[in-house]
Amino acid sequence: MSHPKLASIFNKDEQKVNWHDKALWFVRHKRDLSVHQVKGWETLRELGHNIKAHTLSNLDNYLVEFETNALKNGIQVHWAANAKEHNTIVHQILEEHGAKKVVKSKSMLTEECHLNPYLEDRGIEVIDTDLGERIVQLAKEPPSHIVLPAIHKNRHEVDKLFQEHLHTKPCDGDPQYLTQEARKHLREKFINADAAITGVNFAIAETGGFVVCTNEGNADMGTHLAPIHIACMGFEKLIPKQEHLGVFLRLLARSATGQPITTYSSHFKRPMNGNKMHIVIVDNGRAEQLGRPDFRKSLHCIRCGACMNTCPIYRRSGGHSYDATIPGPIGSILSPGKDLTKHSSLPFASTLCGSCSDVCPVKIDIHSQLYKWRQIITKETKQPFVKKKSMVFMGKLFSKPKQFERIGKIGRWALRSLPQSMINAKPNVWGKSRDLPKGPKQSFDEWYRNRMKKSQ
Amino acid sequence: MGSRTDILNKIKANKPDKLALPTIDPYIFNEDLDLVKEFTKKVEVVGGNVYPISSLDEVTLKINTLLPNTHSNFSTLENTTGFNTISMDVIKRPHELEDLDVLVLQSGLAVSENGSIWVEDSVLPMRILPFITKHLVFVIDERSIVPYMHQAYEKINDFNFGVFISGPSKTADIEQSLVIGAHGALSLSVFLLK
Repeated sequence: MSHPKLASIFNKDEQKVNWHDKALWFVRHKRDLSVHQVKGWETLRELGHNIKAHTLSNLDNYLVEFETNALKNGIQVHWAANAKEHNTIVHQILEEHGAKKVVKSKSMLTEECHLNPYLEDRGIEVIDTDLGERIVQLAKEPPSHIVLPAIHKNRHEVDKLFQEHLHTKPCDGDPQYLTQEARKHLREKFINADAAITGVNFAIAETGGFVVCTNEGNADMGTHLAPIHIACMGFEKLIPKQEHLGVFLRLLARSATGQPITTYSSHFKRPMNGNKMHIVIVDNGRAEQLGRPDFRKSLHCIRCGACMNTCPIYRRSGGHSYDATIPGPIGSILSPGKDLTKHSSLPFASTLCGSCSDVCPVKIDIHSQLYKWRQIITKETKQPFVKKKSMVFMGKLFSKPKQFERIGKIGRWALRSLPQSMINAKPNVWGKSRDLPKGPKQSFDEWYRNRMKKSQ
Repeated sequence: MGSRTDILNKIKANKPDKLALPTIDPYIFNEDLDLVKEFTKKVEVVGGNVYPISSLDEVTLKINTLLPNTHSNFSTLENTTGFNTISMDVIKRPHELEDLDVLVLQSGLAVSENGSIWVEDSVLPMRILPFITKHLVFVIDERSIVPYMHQAYEKINDFNFGVFISGPSKTADIEQSLVIGAHGALSLSVFLLK
């Protein structure tokens, strides 16, 4: 289904939409308060951007450097061209060790590869251990936000889910109680796990190590208890040197939630004695995106979610309306590169206001890329008849100033004089759930000409 | 090796012309802040507490007042044999630490801009310790606080595992309401040695 169709489903519950909108705007506000305290924030963003741009321009060499150092550290390195190969590799590692119970901390990559169903089909229990991810896992839904996976659920829905699955007592959605119960439930899973899977926030070529950031401590509870740690990363997670972490860890949490840093920034370099550590480096369409000059900067993304929190469309349409692993503005420039037809409506889910680009910690020109995808999509995918015809019509209209002026006059008169029932009639989609402004007597052109006359 | 060569070749073919790697000049960010004051403020912002102390002898006494009636305690500080109720020598699996109430660790590096404290496995008998304990106590010398992450990384050398910890574990995944105590420590206290 297209974004507008899915968004209209989300929009049926107006109260919920309003809550969702405000909750995310609040997170955006916390981000503002936090970054305004940092002297040189813009320099920091610039550094983040340029370090990522440099890394991509030398990526093959850095990946080899990373691999060499990781191997030296006793980490086993695997390469996966696509989701299927990634899943096969992870499954093979688990099978070799007879691992049946797996705890997983947040990894958008494993969502992208649909790892959970793949492993579950092969008799392996996979438990998502981030609270938000556990909530959506119990609800059999995908995350709707990359940092706040269950932001689309209210406390009463969580209460009900937990009663059903964790046998909690009804608590009127008390977050304290529900979190405590989740802690108990997941503690047992951590203790009994055979293997832990994590994502990777940053991998460092120079050291062969990698960093995983969480607030809950779930990645560490998993990896330091289970004898096997599998870390899955898209290859764009690489940075050249350890000192660059100083830039990215300062940017990440402030942009994501307004915290000065996540509670835990865990640096893994060598496995514990007797334990195994694996890294799976995944392409899955990224190399192709790297080859698109207009869109390669999308690979700078550090997955903070700031563009979602600020986006007027995302806040009012919900993450699920994007029907993509990464929703929101950044998802809308990543997804068309993977499947242009399936995701053809996403670059249009934007007002092109540019707020996403303004908050992006690594200065991705998200709104420009959205615009560029629109050009490609309009040419390469089938457009609805009405849209196609009306674009041709509007094109002709705007090309002749005299004609434009005349139609503008009629339009302004119509908005002033026609009854509401006609203005908001069905064929006018601009009048859907919205009152249109009264048409002004003057056009801008007329106003400007008068003003010039007066000043002469 | 799987698709290693294919992936690397594809990247080589698709990558842009080489761009310069910028150098980080930490001086740009410098605000000349009072490091102790800023660190204390940030630890409190992230949900922890800071207690100034003037000697290491105060540590156990203070813990007993702050966290009375705990059963399972472990400290890596010297001369805390009376405090420790468990010995790492007999712990075979990290899982056996599940009921640990209080862990006391010393760290030589803390960051004022975000209240985080660096711990690496050279001071950790087991990696799971700072995560599995219910209450986490850090003992830090005031002089080990650096202003920003940039200075912190200048001080970090080789390690097998290391972590910046900023406050107790937390989550806001249920309707954005903050709950302290997710999977890791339920509380974090910092004893700041003058």
